[in-house]
Amino acid sequence: MARITFKAVTKRYAGDVVAVRDLDLEIFDKEFVVLLGPSGCGKSTTLNMIAGLEEVTEGELWFDDEIVNTLPPHRRDVAMVFQSYALYPHKSVYENIAFGLRMRRVAAEEIDRRVRDAAAKLEISHLLQRRPSQLSGGQRQRVALGRAMVRQPAVFLMDEPLSNLDAALRISMRAEIKHLHTAMQTTFVYVTHDQAEALTLADRIVVMNDGVIQQIGAPDDIYERPRNTFVASFLGNPPINYLDGTIEGADGAVSFRRGGMRVALPPALAARLRGSPGREVKLGIRPEDVSRHGLGAETPAMEGIVDTVLPVGSDRFLGLKVEGCDVFVRVDKQAHHREGEPVRLALVPERLHVFDKASGLSLLADGAP
Amino acid sequence: MTAITSLPRRAARFGGPTYDERNALVLIAPLATVLFAVAVFPILYSFYISLYGLKLTRPHRVPFVGLENYVTVLTDPQFWEAVGRTAAFSVMSVAAVAVIALLAALLLNEEFPGRRVLSAVLLVPWAIPYVANALMWKWIYDSNYGALNGLLYQLDFINSYMVWLGDADKTLALIANAFVWKEVPLAVILLLVGLKTIPADLYAAAKVDGANALQRFLHVTLPALKSSFALVIVYETMMAIRHFDLFFILTEGGPGDASHVVAWRIYVETFRNLNFGLGAAMSYILALATLALAYAVIRALAQRI
Repeated sequence: MARITFKAVTKRYAGDVVAVRDLDLEIFDKEFVVLLGPSGCGKSTTLNMIAGLEEVTEGELWFDDEIVNTLPPHRRDVAMVFQSYALYPHKSVYENIAFGLRMRRVAAEEIDRRVRDAAAKLEISHLLQRRPSQLSGGQRQRVALGRAMVRQPAVFLMDEPLSNLDAALRISMRAEIKHLHTAMQTTFVYVTHDQAEALTLADRIVVMNDGVIQQIGAPDDIYERPRNTFVASFLGNPPINYLDGTIEGADGAVSFRRGGMRVALPPALAARLRGSPGREVKLGIRPEDVSRHGLGAETPAMEGIVDTVLPVGSDRFLGLKVEGCDVFVRVDKQAHHREGEPVRLALVPERLHVFDKASGLSLLADGAP
Repeated sequence: MTAITSLPRRAARFGGPTYDERNALVLIAPLATVLFAVAVFPILYSFYISLYGLKLTRPHRVPFVGLENYVTVLTDPQFWEAVGRTAAFSVMSVAAVAVIALLAALLLNEEFPGRRVLSAVLLVPWAIPYVANALMWKWIYDSNYGALNGLLYQLDFINSYMVWLGDADKTLALIANAFVWKEVPLAVILLLVGLKTIPADLYAAAKVDGANALQRFLHVTLPALKSSFALVIVYETMMAIRHFDLFFILTEGGPGDASHVVAWRIYVETFRNLNFGLGAAMSYILALATLALAYAVIRALAQRI
C-alpha cells in the first residue's frame, strides 16, 4: 500500500547537471505507472529517487503521509528489478530470492515458504539450486522478479526489466508482468524507453524528456491527444508525420495549407484557429490515420507520389512525397501501389493533430496557445 | 593473422611441413632459442649437477653421488630450521600483504579528492628494484642514523637508538615489513581490477534488499574478489618463499641464524661453501615445494569459485 507523491522535486548532480527538474507527480496506490522517455530523460533517476538510491536535491518526496527524502532504501518497503537483473553471481537462485528476507530477519520457515511459493508462480522451482551463470536471460529475469516478489513490498520498481531479453520473450514477459500486478495488488513504477511496453502495461504513462514531464495520462489519451510534438513523435511506430504549413481562414471555414495542398480542419480545431490566419503550424498525421476508401469531393485528402513500398505481411507501408515532404503511411495489403505512381488518400479529420510550429505545443490540448 | 593461419598451403614435397608450419617454426625459433639458453638448459643442468658431488674447492674430482645430495639436505636439521623460518616469514608477509592490499584497494575504489595522487604514490614501491628497496630499508633500520630510530626517538617511543636488525626476535618481522612494503602495490592493483568488475547494480540491489555496508561487503564485494584474492595469495606466497635480496642485504642470515631462510641457505651453500651439488639439490627441493604449494592453493580456491 503506497501512494507516492513528488512535490517540486529536482535532482542535480555535481557540476550542476540537472537530471530531473521541478517534478510534480502523484502515483496512486496500486497503480501501474510507466515512466517513458529516451535515455537521459531522467526517468531512471526518478525511479532511483523512489528507491532511495539517489538523493532528492530539492523538493519533497512523500510515501503516503510521510516525507521519505532521507529514508534509506531498506526502510522504504520497496523492491526493485534491474535491467541487468543484478543477481548475486555466487549465490544460488534460492539464496538470491531469499537474500532480502534474510537481511530482514524473517524466520527460516517463512523464507522457505515464500521462496518456494514465488518460484512455483514463476515456474523456476527446478532451478532453485542453480547459479545465475547457469541460467538463460529469461530465467534470470524471473529470478529477479522472484527476488522482488517475496518481499511483498508496498512499491514495486522496475528499471527497464525487459530490455535485455529477445523480442519474443519480451512480449510474453509483458503479459506476465501485467498478471503480476493484478495478483500482487501493489503500486508498480516501471521505467522504459519502449513505447509499446508503456502502452501495453500502464494505467498511466508519464512521458519525460530532458528531466521534465511532458505529459501524464492514460495510454490512449497520450497516444490520441499528445500535448506536444515530442510526445507525438515518441509514441507510435512508425512515428507520426509532420507537414509544415499555414492556417487559412476563409469564409468561416478554417483549413491547413501547404503549397497546393489544402486540408479543411474539423470544427473543434477550426473554432480555436479562426482568429489566426497565416499562423505557422505543423500538421501531424499518424501513419495509420489515412484511408484509401471514402474519398469524396469534400473529404480532406492528401496527394502524393509513391516513393517506396514496404510490405510487412499484415499491412503495407508506403513512403510518399507530399508537397516536398516525406510521409510514411500504413495501408491495407490489398493496396497495390507502384513506385512513382500518384496516390490520393483520405484523412480522418478528427484524427489530425495540429501543433504550433514554434513551440511544438498541440493546438488541441486544453490551455493551448 | 587469421588470413595467414586459415589457409594451409602444402609444400611441394609430399608430406613435408606446410607453409604455415614452416612460418610458425621460423617465427618461434628466436624466442625458443633464448628460452632454452636461459631457462631450460639451466634447469636441466642444475638437476644434472645436483646428482654429482661438485665442489669448487676440489674441482678435479666430481663423483656421481645419485640422490645422496637430496638425502643430505632432507636429513639435515638445520635445513628444516631454515624451512621453519621461511614458512614463518611467508605466512607473516602474505597475510600482511593480503590485508593491507585489500584495505588499500577498497579505499582507492571510492571516489574522493586526491584519489589519483594517492594511487600514483601507492605505486612507487612497485617501481623500485628489489635491491634498491633492500638498501633503502637498510638505511631506515640503521642503528646509528636510521629513519626509524629517528622517528621513534623524536616521538618519545624509545629512549635510545636501537639495533633493530640485531634483535633476533624482531629480525624476521622487520624483513617481512620491508617485503610487504614492496609487494603491496601489485596486490592492490590485482584487487582493484577485481573490484572494478563488480557491477554497481549489485550494490544497489543489496541496498534495496536491506543489506548494510558490512553485509554488502560480505555478500557482494568479498565473493567477487575471490579469484583476484587467490591470485594475490599464490603469487605472493611464491615470491615470499623464494625471496633472497632482503636477507642478503639486510642481515646475511643473521643475527646468529635468526634470518637463515632456505633461499639464503642455498646461496651460502653454493657460493660461499662452493658446494654446487648440494646447493642445486636444495634449489630443486625449494622449486618443487613452491610448485606443489601453488598447485594446492589454486586447486583449493578453484573449487570454491
